[in-house]
Amino acid sequence: MPHVELKNVTKRYGNVEVINGLSLAVEEGSFTALLGPSGCGKSTLLRMIAGLEEITQGQCFIAGTEVTDVPPAQRGAAMVFQNYALYPHLTVRQNIAFSLSIAGASREVQNKRVGEVARMLRLDELLDRRPAQLSGGQRQRVAIGRALVREPKVFLFDEPLSNLDAMLRVQMRLELAKLHQSLKTTMIYVTHDQVEAMTLADRIVVLDKGIISQVGTPLELYNKPANKFVAAFIGSPAMNFFKAEIAGRDGEAYSLNLPGGRTAKIVSRGGTVPAAASVDVGVRPEHLKLGPAGAANSHFDGKVSIVEQLGNSTLLYVDTPAGQLIVEGEGNLKIAVGDTVGLSLDPAASHLFGTDEKVI
Amino acid sequence: MTAMADTSLTSVERKRSRPLNIGAILLGALTVICAAIWFFPVFWALSTSLKTDDEAVRRGIGLLPEAPTLDGYLYVIRNSDLPFWYLNSTITSVAVTVIAVFMAACAGYAISQLRFPGRTLLWWTILASFMVPVQALIVNHFIIMASVKLLNTHLGIILPMLITPVTVIVYKQFFDSLPREFREAAVMDGANEFQLLFRVFLPMNWGITTALAIITFIGAWNSFLWPFLAAQNEKMMTVTVGITAVQDTFGVAYARLMAGAVLAGLPVALAYIIFQRRVTQAITLSAGIKG
Repeated sequence: MPHVELKNVTKRYGNVEVINGLSLAVEEGSFTALLGPSGCGKSTLLRMIAGLEEITQGQCFIAGTEVTDVPPAQRGAAMVFQNYALYPHLTVRQNIAFSLSIAGASREVQNKRVGEVARMLRLDELLDRRPAQLSGGQRQRVAIGRALVREPKVFLFDEPLSNLDAMLRVQMRLELAKLHQSLKTTMIYVTHDQVEAMTLADRIVVLDKGIISQVGTPLELYNKPANKFVAAFIGSPAMNFFKAEIAGRDGEAYSLNLPGGRTAKIVSRGGTVPAAASVDVGVRPEHLKLGPAGAANSHFDGKVSIVEQLGNSTLLYVDTPAGQLIVEGEGNLKIAVGDTVGLSLDPAASHLFGTDEKVI
Repeated sequence: MTAMADTSLTSVERKRSRPLNIGAILLGALTVICAAIWFFPVFWALSTSLKTDDEAVRRGIGLLPEAPTLDGYLYVIRNSDLPFWYLNSTITSVAVTVIAVFMAACAGYAISQLRFPGRTLLWWTILASFMVPVQALIVNHFIIMASVKLLNTHLGIILPMLITPVTVIVYKQFFDSLPREFREAAVMDGANEFQLLFRVFLPMNWGITTALAIITFIGAWNSFLWPFLAAQNEKMMTVTVGITAVQDTFGVAYARLMAGAVLAGLPVALAYIIFQRRVTQAITLSAGIKG
């Protein structure tokens, strides 16, 4: 039985429909990321689970109990906010103990629980400080501590790392992963950062315009995107896309007429498409192999317009008959702007998308 | 020590080398002149209150009393109900301050944070109400208080003075300015609306409440028109009303009149001196609204 479940959930603000008949099941103890661009409805979805947004239609269940109309505090969910939402007039200790104090817990119980949480999050030394005296990472830990002290059935994170600098974000990411490993509590994490989602979550829900585009493990989404939106959204640098024409079919593989006149064979994922149809081909930058221009096995020849050397890899922006393609090569690649290169597709790692943008 | 001395020397030299800002000097001088003009009547009242009645009416300008005396003050204290007036002013001003600020905080919170039918109408009504001068309502207040037999009572003085829309507006604006996550975090933690207001929202900035309380207290202490109408019994008068009502009994005795005026304004002046920063903050908070 799923631990958190949404059934045909719809959210409307007046005439604007933000979430449209969405159903989602989150397993107990899983770390699920809700990923999508700004405005896709991921935070709204999280807030509906938390009870901070009313569900216009549909049902929400937590641990088998329907909580659609249950007040937020009684749902057994704790939330960590993007801007931490620490009460500035209270010390770290009082912030963490706030929910216990509201619930009327004795001072002794409060101190015991705060002590446990503080030890777990390494906040022992900071308990008497106020939020203004803490760094961003420390504040984030206090915010997590405030959620932790309630011993919730499910943790909800609303872009908790987006206010931190890059270094701290990586560090906090690790701490969150460790926390999940040790607590094994269900965590639902909203982010627009695919790296955060890929590294933290064991399951990612990609949202687009209020509907679920795909649900899967990070590698499933990366290697087998269900549609062009997921293919484009997951991966950095983004997947290359170009148009091609179906020339024929050989079992699961389609022969394609590529821009520039050459042909390629790409294995489909079971979908069908009529002959002579136009399709979108998607190929990740690391799945384009560099070779000499005019080589027999290359699919495109192109001129390098930009070279980005990142140390561990080199990104080449190559102008080809199919448009500009990004190619990821080795870190010590000796290619300069203006060089002409040949590019060949990895047929097993390339994707075909139909006119409805679904994978073929 | 040497190092410290060197540092201070450097900073002195740096200050010296800074070019003279003529504009700032002129502005400073203008401020001092304006302050002196504003302060002169206060000084004059203080000076006169310490003179004898003969000296106060003598020709010529005597800035300082020749032989300072507290006779004026002693006369006022002995020949009036000043202790009662002080007590009445204290009771009414403190009550008005506590009740008005409490109600304004609750109203501001409700209008800012809660969603209920008629919220917008209520807000516009409050906005509109502070455009109506108190003088326009005073007859209504008098009739209502008379009909419920509250004239010449503390409650009768207090009730109409509780209408402080500006305080509600300041609170509403403050609550509006707080990120919604504070509210949501507290709701997730199980706080109800009263706990949200009194344990989260108000403590986040006691400065606003303190500032509004001080300015409400000063306003209540200084108010004259309504207490003048509501308290006809000499024992129920407030300081401002009492001093005015009985000045005839002092005769043409400027030293006594000034002593009375100084005594009337003394608590407010002290409050201002002690809470200067908060009063300035309150004036700044409400300036945008009143302006």
